[in-house]
Amino acid sequence: MLNTTAKGLLLDTTRCIGCGACALACKERNGLPKTSDAVLEDKLSDKTFSTVNQVGNRYVRRMCMHCATPSCASACPVAALEKTAAGPVIYHESKCMGCRYCMIACPFGIPKYEWEKKAPLVRKCDLCADRLAKGLKTACATACPTGATTFGDREALVAEARARFAANPGRYREHIYGFEEVGGTSVLLISDAKPEELGYPAGLDETPPPHLTWRVLNIIPDIVMTGAVLLGGIYWIRNRRDEVDAAEGHHDASTKGH
Amino acid sequence: MPKLALPRLTFWRGVLLAILAAGTYATFLRVFKGLAGSTNLTDAFPWGLWIGFDILCGVALAAGGFTISATVYIFNLEKFRPIVRPAILTAFLGYVLVVVALLFDLGRPWNVWHPLVMWNPHSVMFEVGWCVTLYTTVLALEFSPVVFERFKMTKTLHVLHVIMPILVVLGVLLSTLHQSSLGSFYLIVPTKLHALWYSPLLPVYFFLTALTLGCAMTIVESFLSNRAFGKELDMELLVPLGRVALLILGVTAVIRFADFRHRGILGLPFAPTYESRLFLAEMIIGVLAPAVLLALPKVRQHRTGLFLSALLIVMGVVMNRLNVSITGMERSSGEIYVPAFTEIAITLSVVGVGFLVFALAVKYLPVFPEHEMKDARPPVAPDALHVAAQPIRSLPMPAIAVVALAFVAAGALGADGVRRREVVPGPPAPAGTPALAAALASFEAPAERTFPQAPDSPGPVSFRHASHVDASAPDCLSCHGNSYSFLGRTQAPPAGLMHDTKHCGGCHDGTSAFSVEDDCAACHKSE
Repeated sequence: MLNTTAKGLLLDTTRCIGCGACALACKERNGLPKTSDAVLEDKLSDKTFSTVNQVGNRYVRRMCMHCATPSCASACPVAALEKTAAGPVIYHESKCMGCRYCMIACPFGIPKYEWEKKAPLVRKCDLCADRLAKGLKTACATACPTGATTFGDREALVAEARARFAANPGRYREHIYGFEEVGGTSVLLISDAKPEELGYPAGLDETPPPHLTWRVLNIIPDIVMTGAVLLGGIYWIRNRRDEVDAAEGHHDASTKGH
Repeated sequence: MPKLALPRLTFWRGVLLAILAAGTYATFLRVFKGLAGSTNLTDAFPWGLWIGFDILCGVALAAGGFTISATVYIFNLEKFRPIVRPAILTAFLGYVLVVVALLFDLGRPWNVWHPLVMWNPHSVMFEVGWCVTLYTTVLALEFSPVVFERFKMTKTLHVLHVIMPILVVLGVLLSTLHQSSLGSFYLIVPTKLHALWYSPLLPVYFFLTALTLGCAMTIVESFLSNRAFGKELDMELLVPLGRVALLILGVTAVIRFADFRHRGILGLPFAPTYESRLFLAEMIIGVLAPAVLLALPKVRQHRTGLFLSALLIVMGVVMNRLNVSITGMERSSGEIYVPAFTEIAITLSVVGVGFLVFALAVKYLPVFPEHEMKDARPPVAPDALHVAAQPIRSLPMPAIAVVALAFVAAGALGADGVRRREVVPGPPAPAGTPALAAALASFEAPAERTFPQAPDSPGPVSFRHASHVDASAPDCLSCHGNSYSFLGRTQAPPAGLMHDTKHCGGCHDGTSAFSVEDDCAACHKSE
């Protein structure tokens, strides 16, 4: 499961003032162009890896959740996506062949594609892996002035979330989204609203989706061995009968179809 | 003596030409305009017709190869031997075309070989990639005796004859794995694929439908060969295939019923939704109608009746694959996907090229061994796409009624389903202005920061957020995002830059605040 020292983010919709600093800091760090007049209008795309939008009457961030057992990394046939021990799910673009199975697999709909380009790549948040390596916070957490995006060790963030629940009775719907969902994510979300009211997928099981495929892939060697013996055996029995017939001179019995 | 005369332009040749012309234009768009310029694919709907039909259906339609070679070589049912070659040829062509179609769909097709060296054993697609590569090789070897016979290479033929059982066992295993794994593709999306199609048994369904399809395609191909080449397989061979198809249809239906019962969704197919209507249409065309037809001995033993039953099975499996990959994925994506003209043109061209190459192979290679074939009609000039009239009138009335009823019912359900298709509402729209009192209580003006000294500057500038930001209504973007970095510049700004109207000078103009030209020491700390 999650490395306890793995870094993550705690998103708190009750602290967000919708200033847009996180989204613009993300664009700055990733060198991404402006995509709308007002930063709060941005949608996730190949040019926007992190958003803060008004949903209902709250401001809500969307970004890669950096799952402990990422569906995208499990789906990728060439291991172009990788969950690192430090927390981020990173993308090795030189490996990618552009099958877009990661986009199908992601339960949060995060990976986006450069549809317009002739050599397109998958684009998404990488939790500022290079900044983390230098001991810095993510760009979004650096820019956030209210603690609506808090950076830290995931374990500490879980404790922080619980401390906020305890210190502000009635302020939160006391559920840490991402603590158990899809087997845990490095990005956690707390709010006074249900996930579906925030535009987040609801009803996610705590079984990591990759386990659903691995259960099947894991028995392939058994299928191959059993199948080879079974088919070989049938072949041997079925053809042996003909050979015996032929040896005994019952040529008429071995002339099926000839 | 090469014939120089141009081939006669028949109706079907004309259709093929038109399709290939459209396909060529679509290929041009795909190459020069990218995926955006040649498909209706989006971030929300990244897999469309090319994956749904060309890949998922393409592989399934080629299932005749392993079904028939197992029947003949492993189960030693020698009477089916005449079907082996056409079945293997179709399978081989099918797989080659699947790979060609894949190259259109991949964003970076020049990296298509990556799964062979960059392994991820946890990926279903990695497994499918390997299986398809190996199986295409096996198919090529299985078909190669035909080519070697043509050139009378007896030694090679002998070697192939010896290793054939191993090849066949390998081919059956590889097929079992990847036919089912195409269903496993979707195991990872329990919250995205509609419950009518998402099931832990997806790989089992995909495998069983591929087996049924293997039988059905052999029947269909035989009848099409009759029409095109005047070569046809004995009904004695095809009728048992129909029976086997009926058996597997029944087994699959029972498994599906049990699966639905255990998941508590037996009522779901009858819900008045887009998905349920298309699911019922799939079941009627692909399961119910062919099962009824094949269960009637009079229909099963009737050439056209058998052909129609098999055709329904083929259509049903195609509907199934499209329902899994498109219909079932639409609701969760929040988008309605309709393939672009270019996507359809490429798909049709792939099918057209398949027909063309099959026809050429039949013409120049001993695919249908002459002596074992029943000549259905006097030999005509080999005309790949010539179609003769077929006596459909001789079909028993109930059979015609079942087929007509199935099409009417499926058509009505499909039309009603499409009418019910709606875009899923996204997250709630913005409502009013969020109450920010609680959130603002957590606002903390960022720390003081120092701007490095510019070349013409009297000293570095210390900037205090606390005295510049209104804590009751902080507006970060009035400075950040335009002129000021969020992450901090480390280099000294160019001379004069900070005094301009885009930076400090914008507000410090002597009107809104004291001017940047007033008192240097107010901001610049001297050394």
